Amino acid sequence: MKRISIDHLPRVEGNGGVFATVDGNVVTEVKFVINEGARLIERLTVGKTPEEDVSIAPRICAICTLSHKNAVLRAMENALGVKVPTKVTLLRELMHLGEFVESHSLHVFYLALPDYVGFPNAIAMASKFPFEVKIALEMKQFGNHIMKTLSGRYIHGENPVIGGFGKYPTREELVWVKNRANQFMPFVFRTVELFCGLDYPEVPEADTVYACCNPEDGKYGLWGEEIVLSTGEKLAREDYKSLTNEFLVPHSLSKRSRYKGNTYSVGALARVNVLGERLEGEAGKMFNKHFNNRWKKNPLFHNAAQALEILYSFERIPGLVNEILKYPEDPPIVPYKAKTGKGTGLVEAPRGLLIHHYEITDGLVSDVDIITPTAQNAEEIERYCYIAAQKLLDEGREEKIRDRMDLVVRAFDPCISCSVHMVEVKRAPEDDWKKKLADLKKMEPVFIGVGTEGRTDDQAGLELALEMRKAGVNAVYLESELEDDHNLETKAQRPFVFLDVVQMGEQPGKIAVLPLQHVFWNSVLSHRLLPSVSNRLTYEQIKNSYILGIQPESIEDGSQMSPSVKKAIEKILEELKS
Amino acid sequence: MGKEKLKIGVYELTGCAGDALLIVDCEEELLNIFQAADIEAFLMAKSDNRDGELDVALVEGSVSTEKDKGELLDIRKRATAVVAIGNCACVGGIQAAFLDKKDWEKNFKKVYGNLEFSQAKPIQSKPIDAYVKVDYFLPGCPIGKEQFLATFARVLSGNPPDLYRFPVCVECKWHENDCLLNKDILCLGPLTLAGCGSICINHNLPCVGCWGPTEEANRTSEYHLLLEKGYDVETIKKRMANYSGTRIAEFFAQFRKEKK
Repeated sequence: MKRISIDHLPRVEGNGGVFATVDGNVVTEVKFVINEGARLIERLTVGKTPEEDVSIAPRICAICTLSHKNAVLRAMENALGVKVPTKVTLLRELMHLGEFVESHSLHVFYLALPDYVGFPNAIAMASKFPFEVKIALEMKQFGNHIMKTLSGRYIHGENPVIGGFGKYPTREELVWVKNRANQFMPFVFRTVELFCGLDYPEVPEADTVYACCNPEDGKYGLWGEEIVLSTGEKLAREDYKSLTNEFLVPHSLSKRSRYKGNTYSVGALARVNVLGERLEGEAGKMFNKHFNNRWKKNPLFHNAAQALEILYSFERIPGLVNEILKYPEDPPIVPYKAKTGKGTGLVEAPRGLLIHHYEITDGLVSDVDIITPTAQNAEEIERYCYIAAQKLLDEGREEKIRDRMDLVVRAFDPCISCSVHMVEVKRAPEDDWKKKLADLKKMEPVFIGVGTEGRTDDQAGLELALEMRKAGVNAVYLESELEDDHNLETKAQRPFVFLDVVQMGEQPGKIAVLPLQHVFWNSVLSHRLLPSVSNRLTYEQIKNSYILGIQPESIEDGSQMSPSVKKAIEKILEELKS
Repeated sequence: MGKEKLKIGVYELTGCAGDALLIVDCEEELLNIFQAADIEAFLMAKSDNRDGELDVALVEGSVSTEKDKGELLDIRKRATAVVAIGNCACVGGIQAAFLDKKDWEKNFKKVYGNLEFSQAKPIQSKPIDAYVKVDYFLPGCPIGKEQFLATFARVLSGNPPDLYRFPVCVECKWHENDCLLNKDILCLGPLTLAGCGSICINHNLPCVGCWGPTEEANRTSEYHLLLEKGYDVETIKKRMANYSGTRIAEFFAQFRKEKK
């Protein structure tokens, strides 16, 4: 067995990586690990005044600092009943667009492009793409300049406050921003053509669900009062938990999200998939020219979507500045009297849907919930990495796995300080299943035998369960025994280990411990999806479930198990007894 | 010419990555930085990072996992000088809010329950000098561009950094702002280390204290000024605690001492 690793994933902001293990012809493990320490932001913001939290909460992430600022402001203003004047809203949008320009140009040119044109980093790329490297830097500077002008500094600016701004930009500063934006347009078109025209590999393509904010004005935009999904479903901002359903996994300090049991994507690609038809002007034309079905299922198109959004931002900025200039008076900060309330703020950070929720009691913050885009994408990153790895393995292109997973992770533009640097692919050692089974044993698992009685190798799971019972192993059930009782619910805190034959494309008798998740992600792996049991599992349980699988020789008609599978059962029993 | 360039590494422990990003945001000067020194490691900016001997290690972030701790101890062994950059490395940052171990454990459980983590074992957040000798502290949340470039230039020429030790009020006077305390707005400027350029007060907003407490100022008199303005000890303490990390206790202990 083998483990492919990208240890310390460079050019990703933050601290983590992806680890994959390959055992023969199957990928037995894919983990998106976040090593960033726990900062307990949702706890240390409790007991503060709303103003203190508006200062503290954006410290979650330096690169998304103003998205966090807009999210906390929207939530607090909802909670406290503060209505800000139009000029304030328009300036906040300009500030947000500055962050989009800064973050997207940094990501597409400096972090993503080197991979597609064969250079280790942007500095090395300068020899072949001097123009791109230079102007992209100017573009990023321009984004930074807007952020600094509106928020007070490059990072963690304090100028945006509840009810308005401490100080407003001058007319001259705004006019400069408008004119500078126009000067970039030729390069912006070049950016869209470059990234929409890149040769994005087909692996890993797979359908998914996309989610983003639904802008109230029916246009493309960066925030809204509800969430809209690519399925057409809409969720009010207060119901955000029905989308995110946060849960924990042991290998990461960042929480995970699932919607109706399935992974979903947020970010530029989600916005373009859900709202793309609302794009107007040149961005609309470019959307019509380049968007196709591959954008709906290939995460690598995040880069193309970000390029489209760079165009959207540059087209929006001059018009937005003109609107702001219609309000020459600087409105004073809106005061508020409310001492109690709760509010949710939804915005689109450059990397996707960002949710802040606060409850305020007697003037102090009493409850906080913050859900970052990378935390929502973590399950998708794991799934797409798995799909890429298994597909490449099936095609006999194992040597490509590491670089391809690297492309997948980077496409999601994970901001790891808000949730993780690395990809590692390892060949598992001989008999890796023994170590995994020993680790599982410590967690007091519930074993469930699955199969068809009296049918060649398909009876192996049942046979193994019965033998385990005889050998005195605790908590062993047969699939049929679980149909009518509540064993599954009551055993929720312990991992489930399903005993079954699994088509791994391996020599008969090969044993592997696989996450149950892999079976759901890859219908080739199993001859059936344990419907009687799996339908009753929550996704937290699925995440905590494994298959102790044996490669069958035959599951066709007949009564005899093959000798190789019998031998495998003996090996497992021996291991469980030791 | 011919003189060997200094070997420098930039490292990120747990934090928002804002100090490393600020260095990347130096943009035009960034190329000069890369030319003036051998940047051996800088994960946010380059892929070909090496783990060798260093003249200077710039460390961002607080120690919040066993992995952070191991990495920091290794960096200290390899580096002649260690510079803490940013509020998290200098004082522990906002995440060092729970100073009492039991309090930290209680809050950790509220977020993560009893789950055992398999990869990076979380520990209570602390500044880097809780584990290793730190030669210089460059404050800020995040660090300031001007002060970073000045410090970098001094280090390259073999001189120790020359950082402000006075409170934000001094910079505020340079900017000819009206004192917000005169308008009865609670401003932490008198107790907070300068270097940011009094940015908040320049924007008509009170100082939030994000550069951490001043080291050598007439703190007692500044503190009493706040008390005279009618702010109670608890409010000042609570506000100062946001960005003072593990330094908050010694900061206020000193007032008590001076009072006696």
